[in-house]
Parts: sequence; structure tokens; C-alpha cells
Amino acid sequence: MKITDYIKLVDVNARMTLKSEASRFYLSFLWWIFEPLMVVLGFYFVFNYLLQRGQENYLLFLLCAKVPFVWFSKAVTAASGSILAQKGIISQLNIAKAIFPYSAVQVSLYKELPVLVLLLFTCLAFGFFPTQQWLWLIPLILVEYLIIIAVSLLTALIICYVEDVRILINMVMLLLMFCSGIFFEISSLSPPIGDYLLTYNPIAFMCDSFRLILMNKGMYDVNHLLLLGAIFSALIVVMHLIYHRLNYHMAARVINS
Amino acid sequence: MTENSLILQARDITLTYSMRRGMFNRFNHQALKGISMDLYRGETVGILGRNGEGKSSLMRILAGIINPTSGTVSCATDVSRILLSIGVGFMPNISGRENALYSTMLQGVSYKKAKSMLTAINDFAELGEFFEQPISTYSAGMKARLGFATAIMTDVDIMFVDEVLSVGDENFKKKAEEAMLSKLNGNQTAVFVSHSAPQVRKICNRAIWIDEGKIRAEGDAIWVTNKYHLHMLELQKLEQEKLANQEQQINTQLSASE
Repeated sequence: MKITDYIKLVDVNARMTLKSEASRFYLSFLWWIFEPLMVVLGFYFVFNYLLQRGQENYLLFLLCAKVPFVWFSKAVTAASGSILAQKGIISQLNIAKAIFPYSAVQVSLYKELPVLVLLLFTCLAFGFFPTQQWLWLIPLILVEYLIIIAVSLLTALIICYVEDVRILINMVMLLLMFCSGIFFEISSLSPPIGDYLLTYNPIAFMCDSFRLILMNKGMYDVNHLLLLGAIFSALIVVMHLIYHRLNYHMAARVINS
Repeated sequence: MTENSLILQARDITLTYSMRRGMFNRFNHQALKGISMDLYRGETVGILGRNGEGKSSLMRILAGIINPTSGTVSCATDVSRILLSIGVGFMPNISGRENALYSTMLQGVSYKKAKSMLTAINDFAELGEFFEQPISTYSAGMKARLGFATAIMTDVDIMFVDEVLSVGDENFKKKAEEAMLSKLNGNQTAVFVSHSAPQVRKICNRAIWIDEGKIRAEGDAIWVTNKYHLHMLELQKLEQEKLANQEQQINTQLSASE
């Protein structure tokens, strides 16, 4: 199969999965916007009213970080079980196993696009108007996409061999949510901790950068973004080599799972 | 490959499954115990055997889906191999058309070519307007028809067929068998798995009988199927004798208790 056929197959699979999912619910694809919105409103209610931790424009503050985080967590969680879920196909066809995590990542991307548009409109509603700097969102989204692909390929592979990791992923995502500066400003942490988080937690860097750009607070560290892009691109290449090497072994594991 | 017409060669294939049954408990099963076979261009080889004798595992190895535990399968890289699969990747909430497109693409066909095959697939599957409806609305027979039509349209060098002829109602079954026969009587190289001796005799030139993971007989399809048939009759006879013995034992126990 040619690479273009693979890309098209991933796209067709993702679009059909979306259509299939949407047709199951009365509100169809509107859930892709309602669900993240309801989660953010829930957090807003807890932090702003119950805990009285709110600051000025707290809802937007939450949204700017929550949207990139939810994109990451949902995509990785969905992709992690994607190979095991396709036992039927894998036992019948010799197919590149990476197609399945890629399809799951693509489904999450398509679901995320309207949410991103909604986020931009929310910024306008809060009085944060677009500047030229907003164009820096494009490399930010691109690098987050690379991070998602790399982590998804890794977790999907591990879960093929050790399914227990599926349970750990939910716990890691919860931990990551509290360590990525979604509910608080990373710069408000005592000096070395905030820097450590931004340096060693790519999701914290992503959330902080989205907020910096959208709330017109300044510019993120472009060199760090380039470094992340390079690291995760390399990880994707390595994962493809591993997938290629383990193709038949993975098939046997999935068939006997 | 040493011979011109040889398309695939398998030597001393073994396959051992190791399945986890708890934290420290594993279950090992040797499904194949040293199978060697050659496949020549244009021939149809039947693989006979009872359920659970390793036929499907052998097909997966020959089709290049999994590797054997030991032994080799030699096949040129440009030779396309496919295990004919009915309804592979079907999603219930999308239409027959979309499912046929996706399933065809999964089997290695490009998007453009898969799209151009859709009318022929619907014509063969005889779904009419249902082709545009979600397959969750289909009967089991309709799903099988769509699955068979999608699978049979794909062009490959070696086709591995795992008992797919019993699909749909009697009329469609006949049509499916005819379509398969016309494909196999052409230049199609195929390996056909079945536990039905008459079906293998009808379709195949050569047959291999697999019993307990080993080749029990190999050669002319009529000779092998006859041997297999006789063996099955013997097994049936033994089974009947066993049942008769059990019945006799129960009757003796009953009369003793009375």
C-alpha cells in the first residue's frame, strides 16, 4: 500500500467513525462542542463560586488551557486502545498497525477543530481581539499534534503487550491535568517549580502558551517549541521503526489477546 | 524460488501460542507442528481438517499476517496475498456504500479504485436502495452478501479463502459459489480452507489434510478428500460406539438399582 493510500485510509476511517458516533446521539455532532463546554463550565462553577479562587476573566483563563489539554488527553486515551480494539481486522489482514492510533488521533483532531473555533470566538466575547501574534497559534497547534501522535503511537503499542497500562493512562491524565497549570497560573508557583513544569511537562508548556497568545499576555518560548517539535518528531520516527519491526509480533499478540 | 511457477513455499512451519491465564499462569498450545508445502501459480489448493486443527493459523501465516514460531515462508515481495474476509471492518451506523468503500480500502485498494468498484459491489450484493442505508438496518443475509461482494471484487496474486461460501440464502449461496469458481478456474492462485470434502473436491486441484497440526495426506484432491472422508466416517463410527457403550452402562446401572 502506498503512503498516500494509507493517509486516505486513515482519513476515511476517521470520518466514518465520526459519522457513526454522531448518528448514535440525538444531538449528534453538537456534543463535540457541548461536552468540553460543559466540563469547563463545571470547573468554572467549582473554582469561581465554591472555592472563590476566581480571578478576572477566569472562564477564559480556564478555557485557554483546558482546550489544548482535553485535546491531548482525549486523543491519547482513545488511541491507546485502538489497536487492541481492531482484533477482527488484524486477524484477517496484514495491515500497518499504526493506522489505528492515527485514525483515533484524526477523529480527535476533527472533533477539536470546532472547539478551537469556539475558543477563538470566546476570546472575542471577552474583549481579546486578534493580533498578528495569534498566527503563532499555528506552530503551537502543529507541535501539539506531533506530541499527540507520538504519545498515542507509544501508548497504543504498550497496551498491545500490557493492557494494565490502560488503567494507568487515566490516572496519568488526571495527574497531568493538575500539573499543567490549567486552574492556576504557572508563573504564580514558587520559582524553580514553575520553570521545571514548563521545561519538563510539554502539556504545561502548551497550555501556558495558548493562554499567553489568546489572552494577549506575550509570546511563548519559540526555541522550546522547536525543541519539543524536534523531540516528538524523532519519537514518531522511532515509533514507526518499532511498529515496522514488530508488525507480525503485534498481530500475534492481538489475535491471542 | 527455484521453480518458475512456484509462487509460495513454506518449510517446517510450527506455531505455538502462549496465552496468559492469570498473573503467573500461561497456557501454551502448539497449533502447527512442522508443515511444509509449495504453492504454484494458478492452482487452487484445498486445506482440509476438523475445527481447531490449525487451518486458520496456517492461513494467517501463509497470508503473511503472523509469523510462524519456527520455519520459513518464502514469497516474493511483489506478490500480493490476502485472506478473503467477509465484512472486515464494517461499522454498524454507516451506510453499506461507505462500509464497502472502507472495507475495500482496508484490503489495499486505493480510494479512487475502491470508489469505482462500488456500483459493481452493489450489483453483486443485490442490496438496491439499502446500499445507502446504515448496515444496522440489514438482515444477517444482507450483511453477508455485502461482505462477500466487497471481498470477491479485490484482485490479488494469492487469495486465501477461509470457508466463506456459506453466505446468505440458497440463491445467493449458489451465486457466491459460482463467482468463486469462475475466479478460481481462471488464473487465480488460491488456498481454500474447508471441512467439507465435497466442496474441496469441486473447487481444488490439489488438497492437503491437516490433523493435529501436521500434514496427514497431501496430493490429488480426490485422493486426499476420499482419505479424509473415510477417516471422518471412522471417527463417526467410534463416536457412535462410544455413545452406545455409555447407553448400555446407564441401562445396566438402572436395572441394578431397580
